[in-house]
Amino acid sequence: MIHFEEIILPNGLKILVHEDPTTPLAAVNILYKVGARDEDPSRTGFAHLFEHFMFEGSVNVPDFDTQLQLAGGENNAFTSNDITNYYDILPAVNLETAFWLESDRMLSLDFNLESLETQKRVVCEEFKEHYINQPYGDVWHKLSALAYKVHPYMWPTIGKELSHVENAHMDDVKAFFYKYYRPRNAVMVVAGGIKTKDVEKLANKWFGEIPSGDLITHQLPQEPIQTEARVLDIHADVPLNAIYKSYPMCDRRHADYQTTDMIRDMLSTGDSSRLYHELVKEKKIFSSVAAYLSETIDAGMFILEGKLNPGVTMEEADKALVDCAMGLADTLSDSELQKVKNKTEAFLIFSETNVLNRAMNLAYYDMLGNAADINNEIDKYLSVTNNQIKTVAQNIFDKNKCSTVRYFAK
Amino acid sequence: MLNRTEVPDIKTIDSLDLPHVEKMALDNGIPLYIINSGEQDVVKLDFVFEAGKWYEPKNLLADFVNRMMREGVKGKTAKEVADIFEFYGCNLESSVSFTSAGFQLYSLSKHLPAVLPLMMEVFTEASFPEDEFATMLNNRKQKHTERLAKNDYVANRNFLSAMWGKTHPYGRVTEFEDFENVTTDMLRDYYRKYYNAANCFIIVSGKMDDTLIKSLNTIFGSKSWIGDRAPADIEHLIGPSPQLRQHTDKKDSVQSTVMIGNACINKYHPDFDKLSVVNTVFGGYFGSRLMANIREDKGYTYGIYSSLSSYHHGGIFEISADVGKVVAESTISEIRNEIELMRNDLIDEDELETVKNYLIGRMMRSIDGAMKYADVYKGLILYGRDAGYLNDYLKVIQNITANEIRDLSVRYLDFDKMYKVTVG
Repeated sequence: MIHFEEIILPNGLKILVHEDPTTPLAAVNILYKVGARDEDPSRTGFAHLFEHFMFEGSVNVPDFDTQLQLAGGENNAFTSNDITNYYDILPAVNLETAFWLESDRMLSLDFNLESLETQKRVVCEEFKEHYINQPYGDVWHKLSALAYKVHPYMWPTIGKELSHVENAHMDDVKAFFYKYYRPRNAVMVVAGGIKTKDVEKLANKWFGEIPSGDLITHQLPQEPIQTEARVLDIHADVPLNAIYKSYPMCDRRHADYQTTDMIRDMLSTGDSSRLYHELVKEKKIFSSVAAYLSETIDAGMFILEGKLNPGVTMEEADKALVDCAMGLADTLSDSELQKVKNKTEAFLIFSETNVLNRAMNLAYYDMLGNAADINNEIDKYLSVTNNQIKTVAQNIFDKNKCSTVRYFAK
Repeated sequence: MLNRTEVPDIKTIDSLDLPHVEKMALDNGIPLYIINSGEQDVVKLDFVFEAGKWYEPKNLLADFVNRMMREGVKGKTAKEVADIFEFYGCNLESSVSFTSAGFQLYSLSKHLPAVLPLMMEVFTEASFPEDEFATMLNNRKQKHTERLAKNDYVANRNFLSAMWGKTHPYGRVTEFEDFENVTTDMLRDYYRKYYNAANCFIIVSGKMDDTLIKSLNTIFGSKSWIGDRAPADIEHLIGPSPQLRQHTDKKDSVQSTVMIGNACINKYHPDFDKLSVVNTVFGGYFGSRLMANIREDKGYTYGIYSSLSSYHHGGIFEISADVGKVVAESTISEIRNEIELMRNDLIDEDELETVKNYLIGRMMRSIDGAMKYADVYKGLILYGRDAGYLNDYLKVIQNITANEIRDLSVRYLDFDKMYKVTVG
């Protein structure tokens, strides 16, 4: 149970406060409701580049990181398809420093041209390090472009191509900031060894006078139902043959989300999971396998992947993955369902041991619609039935809705 | 109107509030350290054995034994072992380092009693089935093939083997034939010799009651499991390469991995704690000299760090980054410049204060919560220290001077004597 209180400033900024007197630390998390899905298709990677720029100085603070480190803190941020999330963790006695820093960069940035040029170079190196100079590094680009034809999830957060990042312009940076980085489009969480009444004072003092901005509604083209299997073959300088299969799945707020996540768990978490046991241990088709969700707000991807053992054909590998996933619906036992419930319960409770995780999760649930849902999540998993798993699994693993990327090692 | 140029006051932290650790011994002598705190009903058990790579007579053995211990025990297949742990929602992690090797068992407090007997079977009744071993070997070879395609992996291999020599545990390089040279008999032999009570300590952290402590003694305190200590006299010869500059060409790479560094002192040396502050200034945190110059000013890389690692028989100072291929040489000369600045100039007060406060904040974060503190405490035990060391280290941070930082840089950071390895 994570208890919290809610403060809403006149400018629309929502602040959730979670007191935890057992820690001498404070976590400050600000989630801005903007991500790669909000980008112009010809200027992708922008939300993420912008995240870098948020550390390059604000009106009154030339260097965000130095000031936070001086207060004994540490910070970071990440951008997803849906959100951009910033967090600071520091000794609770220095909480006000985080308020000063975060409010200043919400008020306005320095918009320094030279910093923008440097961060473009840094992001291009990040692009190269993770997506070009790695075996299979381009898989996320290929797979999302295959699975989505209309929805902006068709490009990854790093951007479609280096040139989009290279061509980013200061005018776009300013427009983006004043549109999305406003109090009404953010949710802030303060957690740890702090008091709600102190947070309220600090919030009014530092964030109170920031102009509220317009409420953003995300009007995104929804992906039409896929009716035909899609396959992309890549002959590349990769060490092993590999296969990635993506199936459309429900959105994050859908009642089937927890069931879908449990299917993922049954297939691929732990040594007793189905893909690992059947395909790695017993049939020896793959040397490694995994299943995961793209974890997006709008309808997402359910992905199966495997690295093929020598001598196994791509067709055998493909069939084995599909059969194993489909097999779930026929052979699911009550004890397997109970196992996944126990695992999920443990996973969710362990994730609550860390104050920063609690802060981030509160912000995320609030963005989804209601922060209090964080405390209903375990029950949603525990109430899933055998039949729900079967029905949802049958719906997901439809061969006509599958997008497959196959790597053939040169 | 708020005056935003008025910077909030910063309070410095004078001491760390450390969680209480209770020490006891199980009936067979295994030291048990208890850190009982936390809001959530979860427990972590750290089982630490002196069974790391330092002791292995053949490359990969320490790692394979640790992995294979869960791949079947007397009367239970690998799948049955996994099923039991996972049915109770437990997560069993393995760790193998140079000195120690072991397991971390994460469990909801309510389910822990159900899996403890199985954990003990893993320690005493592992069966090392041939077919499971064959599967593991195949998967590890495949993983090795994958890793060899990554520049950072190849660079790390070249770097460590140049520094220590290919036969020393710290520099040992895995070749495909190594996979053929290990048998299940060797695994069994190593297992019996090193995974025993005399060679073990346990840390339990999280929310627990006395019943759990009693069960730990009943199950892991068995006197039939004592065995011998790991031999203290194993030595390995260091065989450093005379070739300080090494390059592996990867013509299709768009980036190069750069690694620079040398063998260094470890935690047994009186300079180590202060040198760790020097490392932080130089490249040990996001605000470091290296990051400020090579990422934030030049934009050559997504990230560059230096680190100072301590092992029982030596230490390593290293700088590493993945940088644009065309700026690899410029990066190396900027690293040289930054080393010269460390050696020649005194750090200014603001920067030193930032590093001190940052490091103390980092210590606070590293001990926040029983399970995190268990990790820190494990490190203390492995060097024969107690919790008091942490507040001593905090004093070292608080008291270090600009002169000391410069002197230590002169003594330990010498670009000309460092290995420079590039791949890309």
